[in-house]
Amino acid sequence: MKNSIAFIVILAGALILSVFLPWWIIAPIALCLAYFAKLSPLSGFLVSFAGVFVAWLISIYIIDSDGTVQDILSKLFNVNPMALPYISSLLGALLAGIFGLAGSLLSPKNGA
Amino acid sequence: MRKILGLVTLLVGLALLHYLNNPVKIGKTPIPPLGKLLNPYSGVWQNAEDPEDYSDIDLTSNLVKDEIKIVFDDRMVPHIYAQNLEDAIFAQGYVEAYHRLFQMDLSTRSPDGRLSEILGERLLAYDKKQRRLGLGFGADNAVEGWQAFPEKLKIVDQYTAGVNHFISNLDPSEYPMEYKLLDFKPSAWTNRHSALLLKAMSQTLVGYEEDVEMSNALRLLGSEDFDLVYPDRNPKDTPVTKGPSVNTIKFKSQDKLQDIVGINIPSISRPRSPDGVGSNNWAISGSKSETGLPILANDPHLGLSLPSVWYEIAITTPEFSAQGVTLLGMPGIMIGFNENIAWGETNVGHDMMDYYKINWVDSTKMSYLVDGKAVPADLKVEEYYVSGLGKVTDTVRYTIWGPIVDDSTDLALRWVAHDKPDKSEFMAFVDGMRSENYDEYLKATAQFYAPAQNFIYADNNNDIGLRINGNIPIKKYRQGVTVSDGSNMVNGWQGYIPRELNPQERNPEKGFVTSCNQYSAAPDYPYYYNGNFEPYRGRMANRLLYAKDTFSIADFKAMQNSNYSILAEEALQVLMPLLDSNFHKLSSVKKLARWDYQYAANSKNAVLFDLWFESFHRLLWDEVYNKSDELNLPNPDVWVTVNLIEADKTSKFYDIVRTTKVETLKELVNLSFEQIKDSAIVTLAEEKNAQILHLTRLPAFSEMNLALGGTKHSLNAMQQTFGPSWRMVVALGEDEPEAYGIYPGGQSGNPASPFYKDRIKTWANGEYDRIILAPREEKIESPLFNIVIRNEE
Repeated sequence: MKNSIAFIVILAGALILSVFLPWWIIAPIALCLAYFAKLSPLSGFLVSFAGVFVAWLISIYIIDSDGTVQDILSKLFNVNPMALPYISSLLGALLAGIFGLAGSLLSPKNGA
Repeated sequence: MRKILGLVTLLVGLALLHYLNNPVKIGKTPIPPLGKLLNPYSGVWQNAEDPEDYSDIDLTSNLVKDEIKIVFDDRMVPHIYAQNLEDAIFAQGYVEAYHRLFQMDLSTRSPDGRLSEILGERLLAYDKKQRRLGLGFGADNAVEGWQAFPEKLKIVDQYTAGVNHFISNLDPSEYPMEYKLLDFKPSAWTNRHSALLLKAMSQTLVGYEEDVEMSNALRLLGSEDFDLVYPDRNPKDTPVTKGPSVNTIKFKSQDKLQDIVGINIPSISRPRSPDGVGSNNWAISGSKSETGLPILANDPHLGLSLPSVWYEIAITTPEFSAQGVTLLGMPGIMIGFNENIAWGETNVGHDMMDYYKINWVDSTKMSYLVDGKAVPADLKVEEYYVSGLGKVTDTVRYTIWGPIVDDSTDLALRWVAHDKPDKSEFMAFVDGMRSENYDEYLKATAQFYAPAQNFIYADNNNDIGLRINGNIPIKKYRQGVTVSDGSNMVNGWQGYIPRELNPQERNPEKGFVTSCNQYSAAPDYPYYYNGNFEPYRGRMANRLLYAKDTFSIADFKAMQNSNYSILAEEALQVLMPLLDSNFHKLSSVKKLARWDYQYAANSKNAVLFDLWFESFHRLLWDEVYNKSDELNLPNPDVWVTVNLIEADKTSKFYDIVRTTKVETLKELVNLSFEQIKDSAIVTLAEEKNAQILHLTRLPAFSEMNLALGGTKHSLNAMQQTFGPSWRMVVALGEDEPEAYGIYPGGQSGNPASPFYKDRIKTWANGEYDRIILAPREEKIESPLFNIVIRNEE
């Protein structure tokens, strides 16, 4: 239950706050969420990772609905065009995941 | 323990964040900041453009007087509606930046020698060469010269303000894609950037000379043979004009030049105009037109790039309504039409760049001798802030002639583009687009300074005309063909030809005017000039224009797309009969014998001819080509070859120097064919492999492998990366003109826009868009969106 709520919070946080704040705002969001919600390290990583992955993927599919940017990037980086939204989202997800993990490890209740 | 692990994880996260937000180098390969680049909120995904979803934009600025409305039509052409000229030009600056900011940035960085600031060390050598040519020096002088026209300069100020209004309201998430990839920010536009654009134009159009190579050739051949191999003028040429309508001009330019330095000079390391730039234009009077009113055509041949060098724009104020294309960065419309007139330009090939040998006082090269007196050199320290490397300096010596372009040669460059203009050059295209008759247009274009152009004109009052506008130096006979002695002031230019004596024609009896980069005036034109002139396109345009009594718009379009080569026609008439009968049995030769001299995309004859002619040309001039390795020599012109084989069947040049026997013309013809007879011949389109590259040369942003016909000597002067960069035909009308135009590209500079390269297909097919002038906004059918700019109050 806690994980589901945390997932929704980070998903919504990424979707909404990224519009006004720098793209890396997902890192402090994940860190704080895992820290204050006292998520387990595994949840801290996975919830942050999944939340941001989904948020970015949704955003990319909405923005680049006809896939033009995807096609250009695929030629630029010599990567399958279909993979690019996933690769992009993976970058954000990984960053958020690591900060989520750090947040839960540093959380006082879980502290050693 | 867990806390420590937490801290370590946090540090790993921060490190990852750092690398995703800042550029890194793996080995020597720079990796862009991937997180910054690929995140959906400020990265390149934001540059997606939904064609169904263009929305109106409302802006305010205290720099505009009245409300400006910009309506984008269904071809993404902005139609600016303003209440006064200043507001209109503000809007022009705004929309050009709106669509082409990165292009404007890059194309002014290039002449200014600032590419290494964003692209790193590999561009430093190029930057240094650009600054050593004195392009920035020329821009500084231009800006200084413009100060003499404070009232008119307000127009440039407004253009600059318009560009900056766009830049300053730009959120980093809206930066053009290229800024994100290269990870830098747009910087503010200044009037100097507009001057740099003119300097870049000069570099592209009048940045060609062969002074050093010609000096070496003169030394190698002696003056008699030199005049034969490198003559100034093709007697078959059909010059642009008969010359000025003044019969008696007294001046000194027929004097022979003193002190030509004919020494063995190594190549100067300098960027020159590429081979292949040029243009065509022609206009017929009403008497030669099916419509009864003049028709005008213009197609400039420039480097084909994405975004295109041209941007289409329409400007309407209560005073006028004009439409056409312009190079980004200057106010006004360069090639276009308004309700009453149409205009355009082609390049003038006169040599505007001369090198002078400097005689240094001593090895410190701090001062040099002029007329026996020591003159100190001006040392200019150029500073470069190279991305990834830091500050680099380079000291350039400036002489009374100009900068020392390459320190290893001690040659100073004298160039029209360096001079402080004494004219309000920036107004030529602004006043031109609002002219109502030829007198007004002549007054407008008299302001143009450099690079000199053949300005063509036609109006619905049945006036047609053509005049060279731009400053042309007065030279002595054959001055500037070779390097001059810089220690003697008498070798300087004798000022500039007065504008009223520049070559020009108005309503000539023949019923048309035309220029295709050929010689400017008939041989009896009193001022001496030489330069880089195209030998066949001008003759082709004249041949076609004389061939018929009346012309339609369709005829003009067909002319612009003509692939016919007079070079091939004339050369093969001599070469084919001399070819041995056993070669005539080959199927390729049988086909070549029946060839119509059309450089069609699928033609193999054209490829075979080019190969054979090149082989013949090199064998013929083996006296020159043999020495090209040890001496830096110019290539003889192709027309010299054709004229020689037509007129002289026993020239001593037919001999191949390295053989003991003396070859004849016939032997040379067969030897040259023998050399290439086994070559694999593909179609012209495959051979040419035409492509339109993005400014960064990234294939992802480019259009590769276009199947196109044409050759540099046909009116459709299509080469691999050069060609008709804009084709326009305008038939003037009592009420409104009927206009057509096309360029290979699209209005938007955004590679992700549907308007990035939407026009290429139409262009490649030789077709045109209909251009409808809209003096009233209601005339625009299905506009995409509007931008409104209001005063803040």
